[in-house]
Amino acid sequence: MGISEIRIVKRDGSKEPFSIEKIKYAVRKAFLSVGSYTTDEDLAGVLSRVHVADGMSVEEIQNQVEVALMAERYYTVAKNYMLYRQKHSEDREDREKLNFLVSYCDASNAASGSKYDANANVEKKNIATLIGELPKSNFIRLNRRLLTDRLKELYGKEFSDKYLHLLTNHFIYKNDETSMANYCASITMYPWLLNGTMSVGGNSKAPTNLKSFCGGFVNMVFIVSSMLSGACATPEFLMYMNYFIEKEYGEDYYKRADEIVDLSVKKRTIKKVVEDCFQQVVYSINQPSGARNFQAVFWNISYYDKYYFQSIFGEFYFPDGSQPHWESLSWLQKAFMKWFNKERTKAVLTFPVETMALLTENGDVKDEDWGNFTAEMYSEGHSFFTYISDNADSLASCCRLRNEIQDNGFSYTLGAGGVSTGSKSVLTINLNRCIQYAVKNNMHYLTYLESIVDTVHKVQIGYNENLKNLQEKGMLPLFDAGYINIDRQYLTVGVNGLVEAAEFLGIEINDNPKYAEFVQNVLGLIEKYNKKYRTKDMMFNCEMIPAENVGVKHAKWDREDGFVVPRDCYNSYFYVVEDDSLNIIDKFRLHGRKYIAHLTGGSALHANLESHLTKEQYRQLIRVAAHEGCNYFTFNIPNTICNDCNHIDKRYLTECPVCHSKNVDYLTRVIGYMKRVSNFSAARQEEATRRFYASEKQFVLDI
Amino acid sequence: MLKFHNFDIVFAEVPDEVTLAINITGCPNHCPGCHSPHLQQDTGNPLDDNALAELLTLYTNDITCVCFMGGDAEPQEVERLALFAREKFPRIKTAWYSGKPTISDKIAITSFNYIKIGGYNAAYGPLNKPTTNQRLYRIEENCTEDITSRFWKNNLNFS
Repeated sequence: MGISEIRIVKRDGSKEPFSIEKIKYAVRKAFLSVGSYTTDEDLAGVLSRVHVADGMSVEEIQNQVEVALMAERYYTVAKNYMLYRQKHSEDREDREKLNFLVSYCDASNAASGSKYDANANVEKKNIATLIGELPKSNFIRLNRRLLTDRLKELYGKEFSDKYLHLLTNHFIYKNDETSMANYCASITMYPWLLNGTMSVGGNSKAPTNLKSFCGGFVNMVFIVSSMLSGACATPEFLMYMNYFIEKEYGEDYYKRADEIVDLSVKKRTIKKVVEDCFQQVVYSINQPSGARNFQAVFWNISYYDKYYFQSIFGEFYFPDGSQPHWESLSWLQKAFMKWFNKERTKAVLTFPVETMALLTENGDVKDEDWGNFTAEMYSEGHSFFTYISDNADSLASCCRLRNEIQDNGFSYTLGAGGVSTGSKSVLTINLNRCIQYAVKNNMHYLTYLESIVDTVHKVQIGYNENLKNLQEKGMLPLFDAGYINIDRQYLTVGVNGLVEAAEFLGIEINDNPKYAEFVQNVLGLIEKYNKKYRTKDMMFNCEMIPAENVGVKHAKWDREDGFVVPRDCYNSYFYVVEDDSLNIIDKFRLHGRKYIAHLTGGSALHANLESHLTKEQYRQLIRVAAHEGCNYFTFNIPNTICNDCNHIDKRYLTECPVCHSKNVDYLTRVIGYMKRVSNFSAARQEEATRRFYASEKQFVLDI
Repeated sequence: MLKFHNFDIVFAEVPDEVTLAINITGCPNHCPGCHSPHLQQDTGNPLDDNALAELLTLYTNDITCVCFMGGDAEPQEVERLALFAREKFPRIKTAWYSGKPTISDKIAITSFNYIKIGGYNAAYGPLNKPTTNQRLYRIEENCTEDITSRFWKNNLNFS
């Protein structure tokens, strides 16, 4: 190959013919900077040590020039050359930041503008969201450094380099690398009930009545959320509220809900007072929060049927020695759901994300009343998750993460053990790339995957060590104050690109033995390592991550690197989202026991429907879930929001039924929460429209 | 021998049921404006006892109803299949979407839990228009109830 045919790779990835004159120019300039001229002899000496090959990067060539200058003993010249490079790299960084700032300001919405973390949980872009966005690249660098330093210490430099290699080549993905805080937690509120927020850095005392409960609760959730990068679940929210309502209006308040208890001219009933409390808490928490880059905090709550309630709170005592009452809580849970569903026709209220926990037995729910109520709420257009289990030994309180309950016991300092859980950190394996890479290099995909899975666990251990270190230094008051129990938090191994990897291997994506075996092999391998590395204070689980932005990134990167990529966003489900040959029962089956057995951290089926079903039909689908062993699901019917008159309709319409405008947008549950489709990043919006909604039109009524 | 084009799990056709709908081909009605003209052709797989039992076995615990979509060329065969389904899978209800204006007197309507009659007529509109000429009946032992109006109301009720 002649020198003229050599092409080098520039920093922006483009290629250009190699020019020796550019090196000569740079070397001459470096000599000039120390006050001397370069002779031809000097130049020849330096250049003879530089070896340029086709496809080499500018950085690599400049590194060689540095070494060559030193080898030729021009130390001061080399030093200036290095300083010159450093200055240019700083300039480039500033320029990039400026470019980013300009393009962010020009982007159509906050999620498309975000470079690192396309998150639809931000409604509008403004100076506050920009301030949150700018330091993200620094956080990524800092987090990587913290982690790799720890990995070097634990396993040596070679291992740390392997991690970086896998990360930068997109075999694995570190979720939430733009934040320093641990990921998400389902908290116990008992320490707050005992001591207020002082122990976590707040200044409020323990709540003493309904009013101070509601106000204090909002403050407490803001404090907790500011120390987490993901969601804050409060599975006891309604149970505690029930306790304070009882204290105020008597244990039988729910039987007297229409009684007027307000001396003002408004003459509020107990029910109205309670609904005003809901309003205060829900609207406050849905406000954008300064501490979270102008995002609303991500808040989750749970509902329980009678059996779940007994199992989790059967031994629970409030500090005054009283126990929670099921009858009043059952009333309050229903009142909240009804109120929230109605309120959502007035305003876009994203939070709380709600999960209904139902105990099942013999293929149906055990608590008939709550099974029927769940179906009723779905038929009224309410959007929430349902979690079913034959044993109350696990709970999904964290919008997507399901967790084994370690200890259902009660403690007088920490409250109910069952509710305290969460995920410290998520590290995701890009299965499509890993498996294709293995096949291309003549390895069995499980052999290669095993080394990746092992690495991922070791990296998570490194993360855990750093977290413990932060705790020792008093940086994690949520743990110290007992809101979160570090031993009950999982280190999560995420998976993405499972369906795409199976497709690459020629496996059909439907309920067939080959696909089931593939899924069990891959997820079983991860579970094996989850058990292998488990210690008494360190637990792992495996989750199919909701691919809001990672699925889009993986598809893009893998395509650029020549891997087979069948769609623009990797699936977050066990089936191909746009495959209309699968009916809704097939989808429940593909999220059923055969497939999710090893998915200890959970994955929710989002059953997409074009229009609402009747209560009886939803009730039957809950039975379907129980038969098929699909433990976590929700139904997705796009709600319509009119861009002109702001009317929200729980049906999927192309025209506003109020003002007849066709300028409508849709609210859908793409990740865990309801958001406007136009708030998603551009790639994700495409996914939302491509998504297949089980259509009634296939069998149109007009035969 | 009836043949079928495909099947699906549907919700809109039979109110309150989770229905396995089987799309039968060879439709003799030739309604002007038919939305699925491919079902007028003599194509697809045979719909015999074995094929039906296989489909129902696949979804036994999950569905509440099986609906024969069409089959007007051989109404007695549709009835026979419905009775076969009822015998083998007593928990699953049977429904028939016929395009004929009336049911042949050779058929016992009690072989079905639901029957839809009437061809598509553009002037009167589809089932979900109150002007429709089509009718859906729920058949109980001693009474037959016209439940067509179920298609006309929005099932979203806030209580």
